[in-house]
Amino acid sequence: MPEVITIEHKILKKNADIALENRARFDEAGVFVVGLVSSPGSGKTSLLERTLQKLQGRARCAVIEGDVQTDNDARRIAALGVPAVQIVTNGTCHLEARMVQEALPQVELRGLDILFVENVGNLVCPSSYELGEHVRVVLASTTEGEDKPLKYPAMFRKSQVLVMNKVDLLPYVPFDLAKARACALQVNPGLRWFETSCTTGQGLDAWVDWLLEERQKRH
Amino acid sequence: MHEGSIVAELIRVAEQHAPPGARILRLGVQVGRLTGISPDAMQFYFEVMREGTRCEGARLEVALLPLRGRCGACQQAVTLESEAVWTCAACGQTAVGWENGDELDLRELEVEDA
Repeated sequence: MPEVITIEHKILKKNADIALENRARFDEAGVFVVGLVSSPGSGKTSLLERTLQKLQGRARCAVIEGDVQTDNDARRIAALGVPAVQIVTNGTCHLEARMVQEALPQVELRGLDILFVENVGNLVCPSSYELGEHVRVVLASTTEGEDKPLKYPAMFRKSQVLVMNKVDLLPYVPFDLAKARACALQVNPGLRWFETSCTTGQGLDAWVDWLLEERQKRH
Repeated sequence: MHEGSIVAELIRVAEQHAPPGARILRLGVQVGRLTGISPDAMQFYFEVMREGTRCEGARLEVALLPLRGRCGACQQAVTLESEAVWTCAACGQTAVGWENGDELDLRELEVEDA
């Protein structure tokens, strides 16, 4: 006789559990962990490079890089003298909490102020997987559509901060900054908003000051 | 396209909950409309990935849940059976706050003694 069993089990519970374990390790070590997500090419690694340069001497940082292939990004970060660990997902379109957990033995958490975790460039899949980060920052850029938040609401809802990058290009591209901001706030009214250019350096100080403040709150 | 990873986990969870020796006939899953997860893509991956597992031959039923919320401006209750909109149909303000939508649950298993 067929029988129906009620389960009520979150399918990604295991990931959520590992994310909580990661978070506990971060908190125990007193390190502030920032997740970075965006579509490919918004400038996550460029923003990281500029951010790490500005944080030099002000905060001890390390980076976990997630990519489908290559360790190019970890090399870019290591070239700045910042410890960088590359996770190569080999086709998987997002980082999972388990991958971060497995990378952690390569990161000296003790004595660290800020750990950045750069996800695979993808506005869909990473939204389902918490990693244990304290804040999730989504990047967008002026060479993309203003309606990205409406097209990919899950990611913009699950982020607390939006960095609008490449604002130096505004005179050259048909991008409506006010419209982009309105789209983002529709999906997530609590989203904190920064505007940056990694080419001119515009807006980077405000972003870096915010990181340091958030770091201080968790010390 | 992360439905493959989700289905792999779904099969693992189903195998863990099914009584030892029982055959799994059906998996009842519910998905919220704000997850961005495609039921069709889940079906596709399930049909491929169930082979060689205890879910082989089982049916996957994915229910997309209605989205419930309230407009923060006019307090109108909103229920949607379609994709999320972000503007209140009653007052035109973009102040709809959703109260659910993130569900991704294995709700029930139908099993039979083998």
